[in-house]
Amino acid sequence: MSKKIFIDFKRCIACKACEVACEMEHGEARIRVFEFPDLTSVAFNCRHCEKAPCVEVCPTNALSKDDDGAVVLDPLKCIGCLMCGLACPFGIPKIDEYNKIMDKCDLCAHRRAEGKLPACVSACPTEALKYGDINDVLWAREGKIVAEFKDIGDRTNVLEAYLIR
Amino acid sequence: MAEKLVPVVCPWCSVGCRFYIVNVNGYPKKIEFDYENDIRNHGKLCPKGVAAFQYLRHPDRLKRPLKRVGERGEGKFVEISWDEAIKEIAQKLSEIKEKYGPEALAFLGSERCSIEENYVLQKLARALGTNNLDYVCRMCQSTAVAGKGMLLGHPGLTNPFEDIFKAKVIVLWGYNPAATNPVFFGQYIEKAILDNNATLIVVDPRKTKTAKYADIHLQPYPGTDLAVALAMLNVIITEELYDKDFVAERAEGLEELSKTVEKYTPEWAEKVSGVPAELIRKAAITFATAGTAALLTNEGVNQHANGTRTVMALTEMMVLCGYFGKEGVMSGAIPGAHNGMGAGLMGVEPDALPGKFPLHAEEHRRRIEEVWGFKIPEKPGITYVEMVDALLKGKLKALYVMGTNPAKSLPNLKKVEEAFKNIEFLVVQDIFLTETARYADMVLPAAAWFEKDATAVSFERRVQRSFKAADAPGEAKPDWEIIVMLAKELGLGEYFNYSDVDDILREINRTIPFLTGATPERLKKNLKGCMTPCPDESTETPRLFVQGFLTPNGKAQLIPVEYEEPGEVPDEEYPFWLTNYRFVGQFHTGTMSHRSKSLSKRWPEEYVEINENDAKRLGIKDGNLVKVETRRAALVLKAKVTPHIREGVVAVPWHWDFNYLTTDVLDEYAKMPELKTAACRISKVEG
Ligand code: SF4
Ligand code: SF4
Ligand code: SF4
Repeated sequence: MSKKIFIDFKRCIACKACEVACEMEHGEARIRVFEFPDLTSVAFNCRHCEKAPCVEVCPTNALSKDDDGAVVLDPLKCIGCLMCGLACPFGIPKIDEYNKIMDKCDLCAHRRAEGKLPACVSACPTEALKYGDINDVLWAREGKIVAEFKDIGDRTNVLEAYLIR
Repeated sequence: MAEKLVPVVCPWCSVGCRFYIVNVNGYPKKIEFDYENDIRNHGKLCPKGVAAFQYLRHPDRLKRPLKRVGERGEGKFVEISWDEAIKEIAQKLSEIKEKYGPEALAFLGSERCSIEENYVLQKLARALGTNNLDYVCRMCQSTAVAGKGMLLGHPGLTNPFEDIFKAKVIVLWGYNPAATNPVFFGQYIEKAILDNNATLIVVDPRKTKTAKYADIHLQPYPGTDLAVALAMLNVIITEELYDKDFVAERAEGLEELSKTVEKYTPEWAEKVSGVPAELIRKAAITFATAGTAALLTNEGVNQHANGTRTVMALTEMMVLCGYFGKEGVMSGAIPGAHNGMGAGLMGVEPDALPGKFPLHAEEHRRRIEEVWGFKIPEKPGITYVEMVDALLKGKLKALYVMGTNPAKSLPNLKKVEEAFKNIEFLVVQDIFLTETARYADMVLPAAAWFEKDATAVSFERRVQRSFKAADAPGEAKPDWEIIVMLAKELGLGEYFNYSDVDDILREINRTIPFLTGATPERLKKNLKGCMTPCPDESTETPRLFVQGFLTPNGKAQLIPVEYEEPGEVPDEEYPFWLTNYRFVGQFHTGTMSHRSKSLSKRWPEEYVEINENDAKRLGIKDGNLVKVETRRAALVLKAKVTPHIREGVVAVPWHWDFNYLTTDVLDEYAKMPELKTAACRISKVEG
């Protein structure tokens, strides 16, 4: 099953612990927090797309999907042609100027191998970042409401219960 | 490669987060999050926590004792040996004591050092015959300590973190936890709001990341929130929204208080504070009728010349509504640093003994004298800010500074710099050459927090042990070792017979009855620590005031409070209210955080926030350079034009040069300086 990092922007306080945690782990932050004038903020990393354009365009197969569904880079195969960077609709793969190969979020492959969460998710003090399968994450977020739906049964109340949130 | 995981307490704020340092042969390699233990942060960390070991190996770390060769303040030193340094310091201190008496000496402890280190420091001062002792709590929490102390007999946070989930209303007054305590905010407050539907009331002139979640946001002018608090008391009393049974049983003084606040109507408060009367009324009713409430305060309340009064009024709101001693409530002020509370408990204060017993409490003095084996001087010492005046007047000759940075954290810095030039002998022990150390005659290299075993008390009153996770660089030593070396050289060795921190903690266990149960054995076995009071090894106290208050008769004292302005208010010449705030990724005077790569990259510089309407009026655009000028000094800063600050107020982050602008007017009860507001004028810098 493919797992991703989801962001609950309602919870994000733009503290950038995720950026710093990623930077401590990889030398450079691969997640970025965008702040908007109305005080909302969104942390944004690679989406590890189901049909990932970067993987599709990579001429050397340096990019591939691992068992958890993360798009990972094999540095030995990367030739720094920048195709993935262009193909990514979010501009995620970045050139590492020193090594002249690409650098991108791999959902902390080495941490996952040890059974740990990605660094950014581990740190996030508000749990705005959630790692998991979309269905599990949705259930954790909306499940309480769904359970209430089942409990109440009365459609008008259900609607009210939903709207007051 | 021998890799080990060492459990530590976070060295920054006072939430008391835990994590591990991965240590490879004495060298800190990285941090790891702690999910195993039943710890307060649930493994979560803010950016400072994640970057916590970056400053450890910064090339600026002090590695050997230094002796000044250049002018004071110039920062020119030569390296000397520990032996020479300690000998010279001991000699000079003895000389000064001989010539001018012990009161010419003063000592500053530190909220960034352990309880053991603060304990030995105050013991040394007292062994030398002076109570001239203080630490930065004076500029952070002292008003809260004084105000709540008078009313309730104890200033601490009343309830465990979990209780906030059950609070129906949360009031954050002059407190922006999303920036100052993100983990506490994210793991407790935000969950109460988003998952448990708690109502949030925020009182802050700025619309902060915290205020983003507020149902009611009151934006008073800085330091006029006392007016808002008095008006809320007025509403609660006149509309009879208070808990009559609770007040009858557990408080005294309602009549006087009612009479006093009669005149402080919401309409009056609107004129003073600029907060609409209707909004004040709504906040008061929401708060008083909630059933359970948390009211948390911080520097926005504390750091004013009227701070103690505001704390008193707010505490009275909690008493009147009968919220104390229950589940689902919380009341407290949040110290800045991880051991802000612990240092205070150790008696690093001019008028309090270890355990915070007043110096004049004879039975406690006797008891402690018995443990120590020498007489404690009876005359109270002078406070932090008062030391500056004493230096200028030549009354104070020598200052011994452990792990703190007065040349940046005190108000009215130009005056402070004068004072430090005037000093006869200054010793600074720290991990970097701070602004203060530049004036020192002798600088001693200290081990950083991760480089020693140490105990701290978080703002939840939780006593926790942190373990040595890295070797100190060069010849740097733990602060307690340095103090003990000095004590021995001063001929006081018999009172300082410790071979490790556990010895000191055991003496603390004997000296302070409510810490008797916080033994080294308990803290090592149990990383979650224990909440003080813990009179024996199997007891702790999660909730305060369940039976009664800690005043002599067990009742809360509703002492009436009259309105008083903050230390400086705008006039024609200086028409703006100036205030300050904190960045989530910077800490205090920046000694450590400015030297952390990941933090200084993201929070690199200060700027001044100006309301968009004010900016338009003055022709200031975002990014323009502006001069911010008070009666004491001026700073040139970039403007940040924003709708998130109220008109008439400008704000500057505190971690850089803010204190050149502030005034040193003091709160009469706590001697807290007016750090949070000043009158200023602003003008665009052309070119
Ligand atoms: S750590 Fe969490 S709360 Fe902080 S910026 Fe990142 S996503 Fe937002
Ligand atoms: S790099 Fe871009 S295209 Fe590739 S998986 Fe990530 S978000 Fe999708
Ligand atoms: S999963 Fe790892 S690499 Fe990706 S953004 Fe988070 S910390 Fe960075």
